Amino acid sequence: MQILVIEDEPKVGRAVQEGLRAEGYEVTLASTGEEGFFLASSRVFDLIVLDVMLPGRDGLEVLAALRRQRKTTPVLLLTARDAVEDRVAGLDAGADDYLVKPFAFPELSARIRALLRRGKPEPATSLKIGGLEIDSGNRAVMREGTRLELTAREFELLEFLARNQGRVVSREMLAREVWKEPGRATPLDNVIDVHVARLRKKLDDPFDAKLLHTVRGVGFILSEETP
Amino acid sequence: MKVMPGRTLRVRLTLLYGVLLALGLTLYAVGTSVYLLHDLRKQQDVSLDREIETVEGLIFLSPEGEVELRSEEGEARSESPEHGYVLEMWSVDGKPMFLSAGLEDASLGPAPDATQNPFDRSPHSYRLSNGSRVRVAARRHNVEGRVLLLRLAVSEEPLWDEFWDMVSVLAIGLPIMVLLIGFAGYAVAGQALQPVDEMAQRARKISAERLNERLSILNPNDELGNLGLAFNETLARLEKSFEQLRRFTADASHELRTPLTAIRSVGEVALQNPGDTAYYRDIIGSMLEEANRLTRLVESLLTISRADAGHIQLQHTAVNILDLAKESATLLEVLAEEKQQTIAVQGDPSITISADRLILRQVLINLIDNAVKYSPTGGRIEVRVKATTGEAQIEIEDSGPGISVEHAEKVFQRFYRINKARTHAEGGAGLGLSIVEWAVSVHGGRVELDSTPGAKCTFRLHFPLKQQEPTG
Repeated sequence: MQILVIEDEPKVGRAVQEGLRAEGYEVTLASTGEEGFFLASSRVFDLIVLDVMLPGRDGLEVLAALRRQRKTTPVLLLTARDAVEDRVAGLDAGADDYLVKPFAFPELSARIRALLRRGKPEPATSLKIGGLEIDSGNRAVMREGTRLELTAREFELLEFLARNQGRVVSREMLAREVWKEPGRATPLDNVIDVHVARLRKKLDDPFDAKLLHTVRGVGFILSEETP
Repeated sequence: MKVMPGRTLRVRLTLLYGVLLALGLTLYAVGTSVYLLHDLRKQQDVSLDREIETVEGLIFLSPEGEVELRSEEGEARSESPEHGYVLEMWSVDGKPMFLSAGLEDASLGPAPDATQNPFDRSPHSYRLSNGSRVRVAARRHNVEGRVLLLRLAVSEEPLWDEFWDMVSVLAIGLPIMVLLIGFAGYAVAGQALQPVDEMAQRARKISAERLNERLSILNPNDELGNLGLAFNETLARLEKSFEQLRRFTADASHELRTPLTAIRSVGEVALQNPGDTAYYRDIIGSMLEEANRLTRLVESLLTISRADAGHIQLQHTAVNILDLAKESATLLEVLAEEKQQTIAVQGDPSITISADRLILRQVLINLIDNAVKYSPTGGRIEVRVKATTGEAQIEIEDSGPGISVEHAEKVFQRFYRINKARTHAEGGAGLGLSIVEWAVSVHGGRVELDSTPGAKCTFRLHFPLKQQEPTG
């Protein structure tokens, strides 16, 4: 998969490039609107990550120009502006998704996956990792043959982590996808932490191998390896 | 005043008054002239009547049967209408018996009809065939048995002369008067409006750096004084706003420094000590936590700034308060469970208000979360929903240490924290309650704080129940 990242802030650009490369994508980095536009017009990419505030030709101009050229490449906008009008302007200009800075890298990664996966449905009603088996249809969880009794919320939490197994999941992603909350509210962070702690008690404490790990400052990960 | 020409108020006022004056004077002049004409006419008619009576006394029949006038004076005076009068005498059968010399072949009208009864007519105006205007009186007269029809006319020219003289004087005098008064008015208006100019000058000098200056008011009771006072009041409000803004910016900067300092210290210390990967991972994690805290702070600041500018669009729907309260409590349930606390939500299930659901929910979540945080283990948090006349009330009561009176006054202020150490550790910047206050007031409501220090603390939210236009 070829991804073009257009970002003028060098640290952010390099970090995003490295992070996406580590996930297996081939990443080209452009640091100006003109360079980005040139690359996007002359080569084929599977996805473009575009910063809105660029010096010279700004992100929305580049996007509009690309759309005029009938390029249908999915575009993810990065921006520091989160007002409704800015969101609307971005989507109107032809963006497919919109991520507000500062963002958690797992969030960026998840959204890129979502955009690239479009059209292909979410796989499987059965998720497996280590000795853990989750049956989404019946809402049943088994580990090493033992059935785990989880509350509805705990189940949803575990299911989401399992779908993203091996990848870090941020609290914002959990708030949005599991709790279906719109904003970044502090009280919800505590609620999430408590649920994770309880899930961990039921999921990991009775067993030797630990699956649910906390990555300090970033989020949580369901994985057989300790990060 | 918009249709009047002239750019300045001074010119417009002068023009307006000038036009009014001209109109007034014109009406007056016309009235006077008409009255004069009427009066002159009356006088003339009176003297005409007297004249004809005199003439009647002078008529006699000559031995030949001719009609004659007795005195030379009478003769002389009948020479021409300009100097005296002209006279006609007709017989009853329409034959002219006497025509004064002045008449020549003109006549004072068609042959009088004797059958016209009464023949005596009040004076009327008549234009002779030679163009001059005369005033004619007619009488039936009996002289020695013979019936004569008399018509006597005097010239109207003197009357008209006098009339037009008067009109000319007025016509010339009026515009001159209006012009003179106009100039005087222009000068006076300039004088009166000069303080306005001075005010404008002074006001221009007052800038953002010198907002503490004010305009001087000479007479607070007149219009200019009123304007000046309003100006000064506006300046005072502006000064206060600027001060609030400066304070907010300073406070925000201080708040931002704390997590920044943590990031820096943690990072610098870590680089000083050699460590293994796990150690560095931990350090980076710690720095990321601070970065998250900074992010949340920035979000709050942006919210407040947008709220201040009125940029937040409220989406109003019908919100059932008890439902919303239960939803909020359920969300935070686990936190209460961890502390073996109970959150009890009760109240009137029928109360619905028009509000922005998301914002109202945030308010309830904030307050319930605070209640859980500050209540002791095993404590009880109560949320009560009720309505009084015209108002919906939501009470959130915790069993925590409460808030003393001195703090209670300030607790809604931005960045205000009662116990700085504690709330910072828990991630708060002291903005939560100020956002709550904004969110409630933008719905037309208000927040009350009621506390028994050492026992409990109650936040009471009031919302208007009527169909009220949002203030947001």
